[in-house]
Amino acid sequence: MSKRKDYQFSKPAPGMEGKVFWTSLEAKADPVAYQERAKAEFVDGVSGSDTVSSESLRMKRRTFVGIAGAAGALLGLEGCIRRPEDKILPFTRQPEYVLPGISLHYATTARIAGDSIGLLVETHEGRPTKVEGNPNHPTSLGATDGYAQAAVLDLYDPDRSRFPASVKDKAFTDSTFAEVDKGLTAIADAAAKNGGAKLRVLVQSSSSPTFARVEKAFLAKYPQAKVYTYEPISALNTKLGLQQAFGISAEPAYSFRRARTVLALDSDFLGSEPGSVRNAREFADGRRLGSPRDSMSRLYVVEPGFTSTGASADNRLRLAARDVGSYLKALAAELGVGLTDSEGANFESLRSGVTGAKAPAGVPESWIKAVAKELLAAKGQSLIVVGSRQPAAVHALAFALNHALGNVGRTLVFTPSVDGAKAVGPLDEITALAGELQAGAVDTLVILGGNPALDAPANLKFAELIGKAATKVHFSSYRDETSHLVDLHVPRAHDFESWGDHRSFEGSISIQQPLIAPLHGGRSDIEVLAKLAGIEWWRGYPLVRTTFREAFGAGSFEALWKSALHLGVARELTVAPIGSVSLDGAAVGDAIKQIADAKTALGASNLEVNFVPDPGLYDGRHANNPWMLEVPHPLSCVTWDNAAYVSPNTAKELGIANYDLITVKDASGATVDIVTWVLPGQAEHTITLNLGWGRTVAGRYGNGAGFNVYPLRSAAAFGFGDGFSVSKTGGRYPVSVTQETHSMEGRPIAIDTTLEEYRKNPDFAEFRSPTLSTLPLWQEVEYKGHRWGMAIDLSACTGCNSCLIACQAENNVASVGKEQVARGRDMFWLRLDRYFVGTDESNPQIAFQPVGCQHCEEAPCENVCPVNATAHSPEGLNDMAYNRCIGTRYCMNNCPYKVRRFNFLDFTGQVPETRRMQYNPNVSVRMRGVMEKCSYCVQRIQEAKITARREQRQLRDGDVKVACQTACASGCITFGDLNDPNSKVAKAVKLDRQYSLLPDLGVQPRTSFLAKIRNPNPEIQG
Amino acid sequence: MQLFPRSLNYLPLLVALAAMLGGAGLTFAVWYYGSPWNTQVGYAPVQPVAYSHKLHAGEMGIDCRYCHANIERSQEAMIPPTQTCMGCHAVIKTDSVRLQPVRDSWAKDQPLEWVRIHKLPEHAYFDHSVHLAVGVGCSSCHGRVDQMEVVRQDQPLSMSWCLDCHRDPGKAIRPKDQITNMAWTPSTDEAELVAAAKTVNPPQHCSGCHR
Repeated sequence: MSKRKDYQFSKPAPGMEGKVFWTSLEAKADPVAYQERAKAEFVDGVSGSDTVSSESLRMKRRTFVGIAGAAGALLGLEGCIRRPEDKILPFTRQPEYVLPGISLHYATTARIAGDSIGLLVETHEGRPTKVEGNPNHPTSLGATDGYAQAAVLDLYDPDRSRFPASVKDKAFTDSTFAEVDKGLTAIADAAAKNGGAKLRVLVQSSSSPTFARVEKAFLAKYPQAKVYTYEPISALNTKLGLQQAFGISAEPAYSFRRARTVLALDSDFLGSEPGSVRNAREFADGRRLGSPRDSMSRLYVVEPGFTSTGASADNRLRLAARDVGSYLKALAAELGVGLTDSEGANFESLRSGVTGAKAPAGVPESWIKAVAKELLAAKGQSLIVVGSRQPAAVHALAFALNHALGNVGRTLVFTPSVDGAKAVGPLDEITALAGELQAGAVDTLVILGGNPALDAPANLKFAELIGKAATKVHFSSYRDETSHLVDLHVPRAHDFESWGDHRSFEGSISIQQPLIAPLHGGRSDIEVLAKLAGIEWWRGYPLVRTTFREAFGAGSFEALWKSALHLGVARELTVAPIGSVSLDGAAVGDAIKQIADAKTALGASNLEVNFVPDPGLYDGRHANNPWMLEVPHPLSCVTWDNAAYVSPNTAKELGIANYDLITVKDASGATVDIVTWVLPGQAEHTITLNLGWGRTVAGRYGNGAGFNVYPLRSAAAFGFGDGFSVSKTGGRYPVSVTQETHSMEGRPIAIDTTLEEYRKNPDFAEFRSPTLSTLPLWQEVEYKGHRWGMAIDLSACTGCNSCLIACQAENNVASVGKEQVARGRDMFWLRLDRYFVGTDESNPQIAFQPVGCQHCEEAPCENVCPVNATAHSPEGLNDMAYNRCIGTRYCMNNCPYKVRRFNFLDFTGQVPETRRMQYNPNVSVRMRGVMEKCSYCVQRIQEAKITARREQRQLRDGDVKVACQTACASGCITFGDLNDPNSKVAKAVKLDRQYSLLPDLGVQPRTSFLAKIRNPNPEIQG
Repeated sequence: MQLFPRSLNYLPLLVALAAMLGGAGLTFAVWYYGSPWNTQVGYAPVQPVAYSHKLHAGEMGIDCRYCHANIERSQEAMIPPTQTCMGCHAVIKTDSVRLQPVRDSWAKDQPLEWVRIHKLPEHAYFDHSVHLAVGVGCSSCHGRVDQMEVVRQDQPLSMSWCLDCHRDPGKAIRPKDQITNMAWTPSTDEAELVAAAKTVNPPQHCSGCHR
């Protein structure tokens, strides 16, 4: 550090006073020591991971000699081998459209993370390789989340169940689909005798019109049978609250674009809630700044632990989840004063219900007064959203308030639910099923998808109850926890392998079109149910076509079906939102009474635990997906593990620290051992636990990763609950975090300010960046043709990670495993830096910054390569020729942005054959000893250029879209030709917020950033 | 005391000589293996069907694109499906012994296993369509296929060979309507060659071909 000069600024940066950026608590406490340590990019012990036994990581001498000998012998052999004879096998009959070398995109829909999303899936000669969003589909608008990106790897999971099996004492004996059909026929025959009195089917939540139709046929055939739904992460509370408030069976769809003031109560509407991809795009649209004169919306977030939404908040209040209802009541009381009676008597009961409600302890008064004032000022342009974990009563009150504020029909509409059935609580049906199993009322249990043995509420002891049914069948992609307890296990087809249909939350209906025949012959849910229902044409294709024939009408069916398949959405069938609703005053009054203030105070012995979907594994269904296991948690940057997140103060109070193993215990005595991770921004005396980890039979990648927290998740604490205590086990546990690898060593790179400050000093970003202190090494090159460049708007980034996964999928980027991540050897071409901002360790703000190769015009990496493996293209790309690279790593050492990744080990050689099917054939798979990095998706640039040349035209702006750009839900990333003055990127880099990283080095990066603007309410402190 | 025979005095020298020779030999072998001389020009393996380009393309004058139909759209030239063969041979020479494998393939729906001749390394991404689009004809890389009874590799397909043309494309650029004309020869007029070269801008940087 001593050699480096202090940064010189051209003039004192406005608004910089008190601005501190830090990556971890250690870095904040002792920046000098931290930076000293960060100088070594790869170290054996990255902060605290001294507990990783370095012995286990080190190769034994004998192993080395063995491998070296074998390698030598192979080298000798290779000289004798002539070019192997290669065969070309053309089709005998050429299928329509399938032409070798031309990728095709098919529109489809998939049910991902509790929501259906329209997708375009790229296939190469019949292999799906990459998922893109479908711009025609309202839930996607062309973007995706990380879950959708990773779905294609689930398809090729080598540990997916390949054969049906009969199961006895947890041992599987492979059988055939003929046996399965025999079994299903036997079930149907038995049920036909008594109307299915003892037949129960457990399904996952579905929004499929065909499923609803088949279910109806099934119940018509077996009037006594029941179909129960269970989803470990459910949005039913929202539906239930809506039903209470307005008496309708519907689902809400939000318009964040129109909302000027948004209050999110324990709601991760930008991350894990249904519709998050569309929400993120709309939310970002509502605050895009072209100039200081533009306006932006304001987001208030009240939540216990950091989510993507909380990280994007302008004002954020840390509050235990159990107190959120009380907060809303107090807010309603304050709002009631200023609201006019839009619905007379109905509204009066709301007002009287909340009168005198007090805010929970610790909530500053400004958080009631100022928020209420602003919501009232933005009537019809505001929005109160509540997270689906919160009880239905809180939802009901929020919907009533939205109604009173005039938001319904403007920022919030309701579409009737698919089946029109009355909403029930998220646990009602599984509890009923458990009761019936206990009472011996179930002979035959058919489980269609899902893994209730793992994820049903712990107090039901569902795994034990499954055995009470005489015949039990489980349809599942994996031989998972539930499969071990049944008699017959049947592989379930992936969404990309089977026909289906979906209705999205905002009313569009779309077809799920398979992209590949089932790899392992699986069946889909509708097929099984239809077969049980005795429908003759039970295959998915005729089932879905029948549904659409009925919907379209026979006359124009074929044409409309084709256009729906092609577009990926059946526009003619879109369900219109409910025109007007009227408030059920009495019901809302009842709901308000149900929102009780907490009676006990939270403390060290009365902790609140929050169960949240994991940003990678969701509820555990992606537990064997290496991309999802390795993608860092957006806030804590923990990979390959989950952890108990606690605030710094609570950790101090409990006497626990990072890497400490703790036992979390609930009131009933159930315990879970888990590692501690101190996360600034967590509410005091709360713990956040991510679901889905610690699986024992997930597969080769997921087994043993993280900690299973389901044993703590009882019906009493399904979303959250208090009465938990914590004790130290005394053990320590290694955690791999990416936040401190590839460190920028304290340089000023993430820049943010408030809207107010931005209006005063529009070019603040420039002042905050250091000024040039070095002259360029080489004569500057004039770029006459294309000049590729990228702009990343930090204002819109929510840290959702979908760009990382998209990059991995597009560029065949390897996953390296927990131990290698601990050594700083992760291979992400694009990393998502997360900075805590501010001086308050307990309650910081967040700044996200995606950093890939900056494609410097004066690239320092190129100068030091001894073999010219990295060189500049005439369009300004920093090219990487893998086959030239000899692995000196000089380039990596000389990169000021730490974006080059080295294949320290053979990360791709061991990849199973099925997973290789996912590889993008247009990108080389890198071998050991080779450097790699972001290429600006050069394969896409080349393809676009070739297409333009073939079509005898110039490249147009938008012809080249890079993988991270298309995946980004909030549209932060712009890519294009900087030499084209009309291109979006050329316009973006002219904005006054533009800055580049470390401009003082004179390397002239091609990637620009647009500084983050926050819009906090100055009346609110903290 | 003399433990070792005197002749062993030459051993170090021998070892040194052998090491030098061996080293030189190894260096040469490695160098040769990677050199353009080792690029298999003239490679003409026996194919499962004795298909004659000389007959079909040469004497009968069938256009290349009749069978290699994909070539103007895709990076791959595409070996035609059996369907294409049967399009004619369902009615022509239906009893030919040499066509038996084709009829078998059609009947059994089993692909014919053609032996690959032109093979680029997997990290080189060659695109047929764009070469055709700018006016590089078939014969520039594949030679006089219309005169080949058995197809053989005509050019080295090495990186330096690619670059020779990318640096000076004039001789390979022909009018678009002459793409499949095997007999086309470049102009001898220097000015015309320069003019032709100016119509294209072939990449010479790494990512032009390597991704």
